[in-house]
Amino acid sequence: MLLSSSNQAPTGDLLVVENLEVAIPEEKRDVTIVNGISFTVPAGRTLGVVGESGSGKSLTSLTVMGQLPKNLKLASGSIRLNGEELTTLSTDRRRRLRGKEMAMIFQEPMTSLNPSYRVGAQIVEMVRNHQDVSRAEARKRAIEMLKLVGIPRAEEVVDDYPHQLSGGMRQRVMIALALANEPTLLIADEPTTALDVTIQAQILELMKRLQAELGMSIILITHDLGVVAETCDDVVVMYAGEIVERARVEELFAEPKHPYTRGLLESIPDIDTEVDVLPSIPGTVPTPQSMGTGCRFASRCPQAFDYCRENTPPEIRVNDTSAAKCWLYDPEVVAQHHPEHTAA
Amino acid sequence: MAKFILRRLFHAVIVVFVISLLIFFSIRLTGDPVAVMFAAGEPSQQAIDNLTAELGLDQPIWVQYGIFLRDLITFDLGTSFRTGQSVSSMVAATIGPTTLLAAAGMAVAILIAFPVGIVSAVKRGTVLDFGGRMFSLIGISFPNFWLGIMLILIFAVMLGWFPASGYGTPQHFVLPAITLGLILSGILSRLVRSSMLEVLNQQYIATAHSKGLRSWVVIFRHGLRNALIPTVTFMGVQFGGLLAGTVIIEQVFSWPGLGRMIIDAINARDYPVVQGGVIVLALITVAVNLLVDLSYSILNPRIKAGGSDS
Ligand SMILES: Nc1ncnc2c1ncn2[C@@H]1O[C@H](COP(=O)(O)OP(=O)(O)OP(=O)(O)O)[C@@H](O)[C@H]1O
Ligand SMILES: [Mg+2]
Repeated sequence: MLLSSSNQAPTGDLLVVENLEVAIPEEKRDVTIVNGISFTVPAGRTLGVVGESGSGKSLTSLTVMGQLPKNLKLASGSIRLNGEELTTLSTDRRRRLRGKEMAMIFQEPMTSLNPSYRVGAQIVEMVRNHQDVSRAEARKRAIEMLKLVGIPRAEEVVDDYPHQLSGGMRQRVMIALALANEPTLLIADEPTTALDVTIQAQILELMKRLQAELGMSIILITHDLGVVAETCDDVVVMYAGEIVERARVEELFAEPKHPYTRGLLESIPDIDTEVDVLPSIPGTVPTPQSMGTGCRFASRCPQAFDYCRENTPPEIRVNDTSAAKCWLYDPEVVAQHHPEHTAA
Repeated sequence: MAKFILRRLFHAVIVVFVISLLIFFSIRLTGDPVAVMFAAGEPSQQAIDNLTAELGLDQPIWVQYGIFLRDLITFDLGTSFRTGQSVSSMVAATIGPTTLLAAAGMAVAILIAFPVGIVSAVKRGTVLDFGGRMFSLIGISFPNFWLGIMLILIFAVMLGWFPASGYGTPQHFVLPAITLGLILSGILSRLVRSSMLEVLNQQYIATAHSKGLRSWVVIFRHGLRNALIPTVTFMGVQFGGLLAGTVIIEQVFSWPGLGRMIIDAINARDYPVVQGGVIVLALITVAVNLLVDLSYSILNPRIKAGGSDS
């Protein structure tokens, strides 16, 4: 049976990620590029991941998928899917989860499909890799999926090559591909960045609808805070390889905690206008090689004080649903080191 | 598609025409064939004049060329000055051994170059990659004839495993095919490696991994399939080089092929045989390139053969 309708009601945390650290192995000392990432994705919910280019969003998702580039390694951390620890699984067991339990939509729709194979064949391959069905059945499934993602003339498109389709259509095919085996977790890495505004809206709408139908959890990586506001339940904000703030989506927009998040929000004139790139905050992200002690955002932070430059802030709980990696939320530090208090 | 083939045929005609010009005039720079034919005795002027007229060499050179072209159009390659045999039948007798040698050399090259290139790319930066790249480098820098002579020394003279020269049995193929194949696999494995490296970096390879496919499926079905496109093109371009290689190897191994026939004919100033042999080589090269272009458009669905101009 292809469309197993055994989607349990969303209960508990589907994905629990703890303390991920990704590094470039070097002779002397490994260079850490993603550091201490922790988050959870409840079943059936959407987690948004935002952050400037190079903040480690894609590497984090590749780590969860278990397909880091060869030159990088997972230095430490734990990834649990439905309670099962993934980091210690054999490569073969890990591989079997990909495309079945977890699927990914990549950043570039134009190059994510193999140019040498018809789109139908690429979906058929996905289906048959995980389900014991005939070629004909898998092809039926491919057409069904293409229809599901709103591709007109699916019976014909199934035999098209990727280059015969527009960017929006290719991204729909990618979604159809990713969802073909009804994964419980979908990771979408900027699924709409390359597409024009109306198509963007359609694709996001589609993902929400399919989420409701299939009951899956989504990690949505994006540059676009408007997209976050519309589609996510929870958000983590990444900066220079770390999570600097986490919150429920309403709270993040109503009451951003971290100065970086505030900077991001302030520089968009209106949440509803679509932006392709995160608004710019003066200064640049430190490179992994140049990161020393102290808060990584200190050099760009309008509210930084001396203490911030010498001491790395831990993640500080602000309330039940939000936390920020910022000394401003440690009352003791503020009392002892903040110029407003110490000057008095 | 038909338009594409027609245009290619037109190109082929031009190429063959230019080559006919080049070979016709350059062979005449080697000297007078009549002098060679009488090298032994003291011919009378009358005998020389008779032979010159008989061979048609008394005619003005443009007339000679015109006759050559006219015959060529009717697939008449003329007759050998030396033996009086028709060049067509000489070509027919030698083309088989040459084709077999080229095919065997190519087969050896493919059998070596693909595994070496693929392993090199997949295991990039490891000892295996280093070994593969050393292999390419040595293959590229080795002179054909020298490798041939080394192989003869070791495997024919010292070990006596295979015949050093000649033609007829499968054993005769071993040394020439390996010589040709090794030389060719140097450059081919380097190309396979670089094409694979480029392809394996593509986004669709990450997609293939995200489907949970086994690594070897990703490497072959998604990687190699796309890396074949530049590789096949290259093999087509390189085909002329392969034929040139056979000419030398036929000399080293006394292989009764087209190349040796041409070299012997050059030494004897047997104009029609040289001309006919070279024209046939040109035709083969052009035909192979056409085949490669066609297979290229099959391998790469983005190229519609009719639409591409290059
Ligand atoms: N294979 C790699 N080897 C070394 N460094 C890498 C590699 N891949 C990514 N990086 C570095 O890691 C950091 C995070 O990269 P990542 O691709 O995760 O960023 P991102 O947040 O997805 O950015 P973008 O928004 O541009 O997609 C960057 O500084 C990048 O240069
Ligand atoms: Mg990215």
